[in-house]
Amino acid sequence: MTQGTLLTASAWLLGLAFAGYLAATLLYGAGVIGGRISRGARFARAGGWATNAHLLAVVLHFLAILARWQGAGHWPTSNMYEFIGFMAFTSQLAFQVIIRMYRLTVLGALVGPLGVFLMAYSYVFPPKVQPLVPALKSYWLPLHVSMAALGEGFFAVAFGAALLYLLRVRGLELAAEAGGQGNVAVGSESVTMPAADARQSRWERTWGLRGMEILFYFVCVMAGFTLLALLFRYAGFQWLFANSTYHLPPMIGPQFEPVGSKGDLFGLIPMPLFAAPSWMRGKHMNTLLYSLAVGALLYWAVRHWLAKGQPIGDWLARKAGGDPELLDEISYRAVAIGYPVFTLGGLVFAMLWAKEAWGDYWFWDPKETWALIAWLVYSAYLHIRITHGWEGRRSAWLAVLGFGVILFTLIGVNLLIVGVHSYAGGDL
Amino acid sequence: MPDESNFCPECGRSVGQLERPRPVAGGGGWADFLDKAWDFFASTRVAVVLIALVAAASVLGSLIEQEHLYQDWRPPELYYPVRYGPFWGNLYMRLGLTHAYSSAWYATLILLVVISLIICSLHRLLPLHRMLTRPQVWKLPHFVRHQEITHEVAGGLADMEAKLRKRGYKVLRERECLYADRGRLSRYGPYIIHVGLLIVAFAAVGKAVPAWNQTSDVWIPDGQTVKVPDTNFAITNYKFTMETLPNGMPTRFATDAAIAQDGREIKRQTIEVNKPMSHLGWEIYQTSWREEPGVAYVRVNNQTGQMVTNLAVDLRQPEQEYRITDQVKMVILAYYHDFIVDQQTQQPANASFEIKNPVIMAEFIDHQGKSLGRAALMIRAADKSYFTGAYGLAVERVETRWYTALKLHKDKTVPFMYAGLAVVMVGMVITFFLFHWQVWVREERGRLLIGARAYKNKFGLKQDLKRLLGMDAGEGTTAI
Repeated sequence: MTQGTLLTASAWLLGLAFAGYLAATLLYGAGVIGGRISRGARFARAGGWATNAHLLAVVLHFLAILARWQGAGHWPTSNMYEFIGFMAFTSQLAFQVIIRMYRLTVLGALVGPLGVFLMAYSYVFPPKVQPLVPALKSYWLPLHVSMAALGEGFFAVAFGAALLYLLRVRGLELAAEAGGQGNVAVGSESVTMPAADARQSRWERTWGLRGMEILFYFVCVMAGFTLLALLFRYAGFQWLFANSTYHLPPMIGPQFEPVGSKGDLFGLIPMPLFAAPSWMRGKHMNTLLYSLAVGALLYWAVRHWLAKGQPIGDWLARKAGGDPELLDEISYRAVAIGYPVFTLGGLVFAMLWAKEAWGDYWFWDPKETWALIAWLVYSAYLHIRITHGWEGRRSAWLAVLGFGVILFTLIGVNLLIVGVHSYAGGDL
Repeated sequence: MPDESNFCPECGRSVGQLERPRPVAGGGGWADFLDKAWDFFASTRVAVVLIALVAAASVLGSLIEQEHLYQDWRPPELYYPVRYGPFWGNLYMRLGLTHAYSSAWYATLILLVVISLIICSLHRLLPLHRMLTRPQVWKLPHFVRHQEITHEVAGGLADMEAKLRKRGYKVLRERECLYADRGRLSRYGPYIIHVGLLIVAFAAVGKAVPAWNQTSDVWIPDGQTVKVPDTNFAITNYKFTMETLPNGMPTRFATDAAIAQDGREIKRQTIEVNKPMSHLGWEIYQTSWREEPGVAYVRVNNQTGQMVTNLAVDLRQPEQEYRITDQVKMVILAYYHDFIVDQQTQQPANASFEIKNPVIMAEFIDHQGKSLGRAALMIRAADKSYFTGAYGLAVERVETRWYTALKLHKDKTVPFMYAGLAVVMVGMVITFFLFHWQVWVREERGRLLIGARAYKNKFGLKQDLKRLLGMDAGEGTTAI
């Protein structure tokens, strides 16, 4: 097969995998919500179907990666489009491993969408095959990036389970407030509030609720950014500046750009409205501004229309199922697998490669530093779990934070901080 | 890491920090202080807080551009006030935030973490080892019933012992009680990781010792040999190659290099990005390249414009004089590699260290020492040639000179670092992929009380016990 055919096949396989993840997510959702509505009488097998559909999607995704590898001539983790797609793959692969250990349908209803979202997000970046720069030409590229991404995939599952744990515990709290007791029957098993979470200080309670809403706002921001980026990319708008091309209407221009140099929006708002400060690139700041605004809009819409005015965390908490103890175990298990894999791929292999390519194993390059920070957060997580009084919600929050740090390492560092890894950056 | 004192020795439940008996110090003093310090650093909470502090400090350092990473020719004192404004720039520099990872406070934090790591490990390792190798077999019914996983079945101890052994447990018996466990090694894992991290920390500190960590950068033009400072060898660059795509994107940088010692060539190899060359503990890396006007081929004309001779002028270092004919020589009066006229002094000067705008000023002298005239030549603008007298100068062509930049690094901490990382990885596999499971069985009036605790993977142990007891493993979980 020619390279072009392989790349086309890869794109098709990727589309099919995307559809598979979507189907699995819907089936998982049906299993959870349907099972709840019918009190376990119906939709009992939806979870099993979902897992099978999901497995098929993972296999297709893997074939897509292999096809692109052959088509592009190098392991497809060399730019943001390829990497985010690969990360979607590893997170779903990790989910397949975990779901086969612990058959918990509700986990799929949370981690499945994460895969769908990551894949959608990968389409934000230009999918063109780019030849490798000399620094990336090494057998360490597949080893370092794939291993690191696999560890991060397990962290993604740990994040899903930890978030579910937090929601579930909140759900039990809400049920106790409404019914006056902490025990809620789910199916045949009676679920109790974990002992460590029975009591909370006022500070923890307030910030637990706020933190959950902040988290969902971030999710909305990322979703909003993805929507915007895809919309404007395919609409093909362009605003050209000396050193950068904007795809979104420039509200914040590059540094020193005069106000209104690109006309105005609807005859009302001059573009750009401001010039960027020295510490951040105007284009990134502009995109960030839009994402925050659209995220706020999305958050408000979900809270107003779907959650009927209650906090999104509480709304989801009422829907979440599962045994908190099992969720806690799953989250811990996923970190316990991801941590050694990430240490090997993200730090050890990175150091070996850096020694070979740049002449030293550690540079304190921002990307390296942030990988270390993520590693420290998960180290803290592993210690906090065995510390009396800090297990339960505190460690669950740390698993959530850890994945936030991972995302910042992969995406935020490229956008906000310039370093040796900056060639991996995308265009937006 | 795992804190045995968190568990009640009688019932196995988590009870928080136990007050451990402490030698009574004579009312304060050093003994008391050391005792308190030991307890402080032995706490997991303190360890978590210290890890969090290192993480926070690392975040700060990554947000502010570090001195070794910014790409600007200015020194820090000039760069930071421009980059962050005079107030913040100076403040960051004063606080050491511009070299965060080599600052005193970062080193202090790392030191505290190392102390905590050592004391935490010492504090727990011996009690843990004792608990694992000499476990208490005989337990009260109360203890067995209060484990995380409990069963009560009919049967005998001997039968139970056989079943447990078959599933790979180590079994000890004492009167009506039985203790079985497997995956004991897993509990030592965290300490192996800690030892590995100590070696890593040692290697990282070792980098500060100058003799252990030497680097030097050399720029070598094509075809030339450069002696490497502080070593006894020289490097020859036979040819530097850069391959590019049609759009100008480079795809390969390579130097055909050789090492010479005492005038003899001992090794020749192509150095590429990702393919360094090794020699006597030195690693030699391809880091950069540069091109500049190298040799100018200058034509010497007489007054009628006819060529008298051709000269090859090295623009990095021209000769002091050139031979024109048997009778006439050209003496270089002045050479500027980047010519400008200084605005203040109105004198010719160099604008930079690079060869950008080379200018030759020369005088022609015959064999009797009599001047035959002068000439000035601006290489970049061939028409700008001025002369008075018999001879004029013109540029025929300028040959580009390619330089390769090689970085030499001799780092004696590397073996320690790699050994430390290997120990860490072995410790991680032991910690996270082996599970320590403990089972206590007590015979009570013909029935067996079974209590079990998993240090990790509780659901796996649950399934294992169910299978061992011949129960339906049930839905929901499987043991892997």
